[in-house]
Amino acid sequence: MTAFTLNGRAVEVAAAPDTPLLWVIREQLKLTGTKYGCGIAQCGACTLHVDDEPVRACVFPLSAAEGRSVTTIEGLSEEGAHPVQQAWVELDVPQCGYCQSGQIMSAAALLARNPSPSDAEIDTAMAGNLCRCGTYVRIRAAIHRASEA
Amino acid sequence: MKLQDVSLTRRSFLAGAVAAGVALVVPLRLPIWAGQGEAAGLSQAFIRIDTSGQVTFLLPTSEMGQGTHTGQAQILADELGADWSSIVVGMPNQPTPDYRIPFIGQMRSVGSFGIRFWHDPLRLAAAQAREMLTQAAAERLGVAPAALHAENGFIVHSGSGRRIPFGELVEDASSLPVPEEPTLRPEDQRTLSGRRVPRLDTPEKVTGKAVYAVDVEREGMLYGAVRLAPVFSADIEAFDESSVAGMPGVVAVVRVPRGAVVVADSWWQAKRAADALGITFTATDADALSTEAIDTMLREALDRPDVPVSTLRGDAEATLSTAGQVVEAEYSVPLLTHMSMEPINCTAESTEERTELWIGTQGQDVVRMTLENALQLPAERLFINTTYLGGGFGRKTHGEIALQAALASRAVNGRPVKVLWAREDDVRQGQYRQTMRCRFRAALDDAGNITGMRIRLAGPQMGREYGMDPEQMAQATGNLANFDPFSLGGLSDMRYVIPNFVVEHAVVDLPIPLCPWRSIAHSFNGFFFESFMDECASAAGRDPLEFRRRHSEGQERMLAVLDRVAEMSRWDEPAPEGVARGLAVVESYGSYVAQVVEARVDDDDINVERVHVAIDCGHAINPDQVEAQMQGSVIDALGAALRQRVTIRDGRAEQSNFHDYPLLRIGEAPAVVVSIVEIGSPLGGVGEPGVPPLAPALANALFAATQQRIRHLPLADHIQV
Repeated sequence: MTAFTLNGRAVEVAAAPDTPLLWVIREQLKLTGTKYGCGIAQCGACTLHVDDEPVRACVFPLSAAEGRSVTTIEGLSEEGAHPVQQAWVELDVPQCGYCQSGQIMSAAALLARNPSPSDAEIDTAMAGNLCRCGTYVRIRAAIHRASEA
Repeated sequence: MKLQDVSLTRRSFLAGAVAAGVALVVPLRLPIWAGQGEAAGLSQAFIRIDTSGQVTFLLPTSEMGQGTHTGQAQILADELGADWSSIVVGMPNQPTPDYRIPFIGQMRSVGSFGIRFWHDPLRLAAAQAREMLTQAAAERLGVAPAALHAENGFIVHSGSGRRIPFGELVEDASSLPVPEEPTLRPEDQRTLSGRRVPRLDTPEKVTGKAVYAVDVEREGMLYGAVRLAPVFSADIEAFDESSVAGMPGVVAVVRVPRGAVVVADSWWQAKRAADALGITFTATDADALSTEAIDTMLREALDRPDVPVSTLRGDAEATLSTAGQVVEAEYSVPLLTHMSMEPINCTAESTEERTELWIGTQGQDVVRMTLENALQLPAERLFINTTYLGGGFGRKTHGEIALQAALASRAVNGRPVKVLWAREDDVRQGQYRQTMRCRFRAALDDAGNITGMRIRLAGPQMGREYGMDPEQMAQATGNLANFDPFSLGGLSDMRYVIPNFVVEHAVVDLPIPLCPWRSIAHSFNGFFFESFMDECASAAGRDPLEFRRRHSEGQERMLAVLDRVAEMSRWDEPAPEGVARGLAVVESYGSYVAQVVEARVDDDDINVERVHVAIDCGHAINPDQVEAQMQGSVIDALGAALRQRVTIRDGRAEQSNFHDYPLLRIGEAPAVVVSIVEIGSPLGGVGEPGVPPLAPALANALFAATQQRIRHLPLADHIQV
């Protein structure tokens, strides 16, 4: 059994310790906001927070979550109230939306450590999150918007 | 407004529609499609207003990011006078003949049709419903219908201030005749169309609540991973089920066309077992196929002596043989894949009696036909729940995943099975954008005008795979012969005024499955043609804008977007120091888009800083979403032009994931400035037309900077990107 905190709640899971956290969270714990995109930490669709740091859940083994605090998009805020989510709504950032949980988790982690990032800092922090619809222009604008909130 | 659980909405909607009396149901009148298909079973093409005032409509357009559901809801709510929060958008769960698109004969989300095809029928039905509600209210209030108007879900009597909610009127209204010719609201009373309205799906998409096919949850569900033949024409030779029998979680190994699905308690277990599965595939004639061999085939095809003429105007040969100056050039594009962020997947519950699918598909009728053919599954026993799509771009028009999921479910006695392709499967199992090669010859007269042009395209004829007969298509479109719109769109129907003009297609069949890729033929013909126009302008010693304008006489829409983009980019002033500009304009899917790329080019390194986009799509129902599609199209097309391609070695795709098929990352995204040109044109598409002008505008900018003409994509083959 692996025990950790998920969105503020204690959970225990039985799965092989090398199972990527992504699949445990999606299939066993039924939180599907965190997405599978590549399986090799190239696209960022599976980004969630472990002890407030953004990680790629598709390559993060379950065993490494033992005793730690995991936050997914579902736990970022009540009903989308986080400033990043609000900014995303105000600027209608998503198109297909599939990558956006990961984008938002990366952006929230960025703003937590750097409340008003420059374009260059945004580009660096968000470089691991791909968007096939090309919403990058709005992502950048929305991070600036959230930083003003 | 909120989008309810889609499958639930659909079920209750259909049940309600069948049960009489409690709702006002107005069928959508679809004159264009009348008689196209057999109207079997229940028509699902209508709008429905229930006693609570909820307005539900089902349209066949899948929501894959293009924002169509919001646009359609705007059109409906506007004309009806409905409360925006009362609208529920759904999709039919059986492909209905009412929704089959002409030419294609199928229910599909393709061709940037979502708004332009459904706008008029939706508006008409909404106006009919509004007049029926108004009539019912007039009778109840004892006033003339002309004294009433619809507003925010009420019929309002402005004289007295009395108002009745729609829901209280539906019972009376439903017994009235449907007016044949309702009066549409004048433009100045449309308060939603033409405005920025927030997308309906955004709140769900920022909280992780939006349900894509990969997120579907069913009681007792199992998971499937695939192991498919790496060579496209190969099939299974043998597989050894015992090779994975003891692996954790494995429930079944299921043979499917060209491979196997391993079913397990979790996807990760299924994937590990699929990778470990002992399986061999048949040898095929394509085992030695390579990108180099394909390129040679295309090159040789350009020199064939016997290629039929598809499009002919005047006598291009005569002008070419007597011209003062002849410009010649050859271009090519590689295979591309779609790389939707959500890999291909489907959940199925399937038995002999009933099959239900949860799938993010653009091609519900393709799914139906695939299962009909493979499983002899009658259409009335098939239910397709279309979820949100995590991207489509044309790839999600195929049915192979539905068959894999249905077979997997049947192998475990109808239990639900979610079959998900790994990213590597998604990339290697193809359905690629065609690789094409194109040769141009143009005759310039002494004044520097193009008097004649000969175009020969070499490559596959993808339309045949979609049931389009090139001879019938030629007849239907006013071409001579051998006309495939999926190959020649954007060449045969290009909008420049060139009096002598020939287009031919030397067909090269490839043993590689092909699939529409956002903007289909325009994705390469835009690059070919607009690069060549630039070459002709250069040969004629003309400015690229002036050269295009002088070949666009009478083409108002083309001139309007050219002029707008010139104004935006200050084309008539010198470019800033170190910045090179390139221009292109392409008509596709009923819209005209002109783009100017501003790039900084140093030491063979190119950095695109800004792209100006002018689009004429008729009337922009939601200008913010038109802008979003232009921004996304530019970034999509830029990534492709710079460095994307699928290469073939030993009959199989060499790429596998984002590291070797690199999308653009945020730091590479240019500023995209969008301007919408409204000159009263008919409604055009928006999802695709932003793609075609980018690659040529980029290549033209590069030429402006370096005098080096790149004729073969991607640019990364030639310069540092």
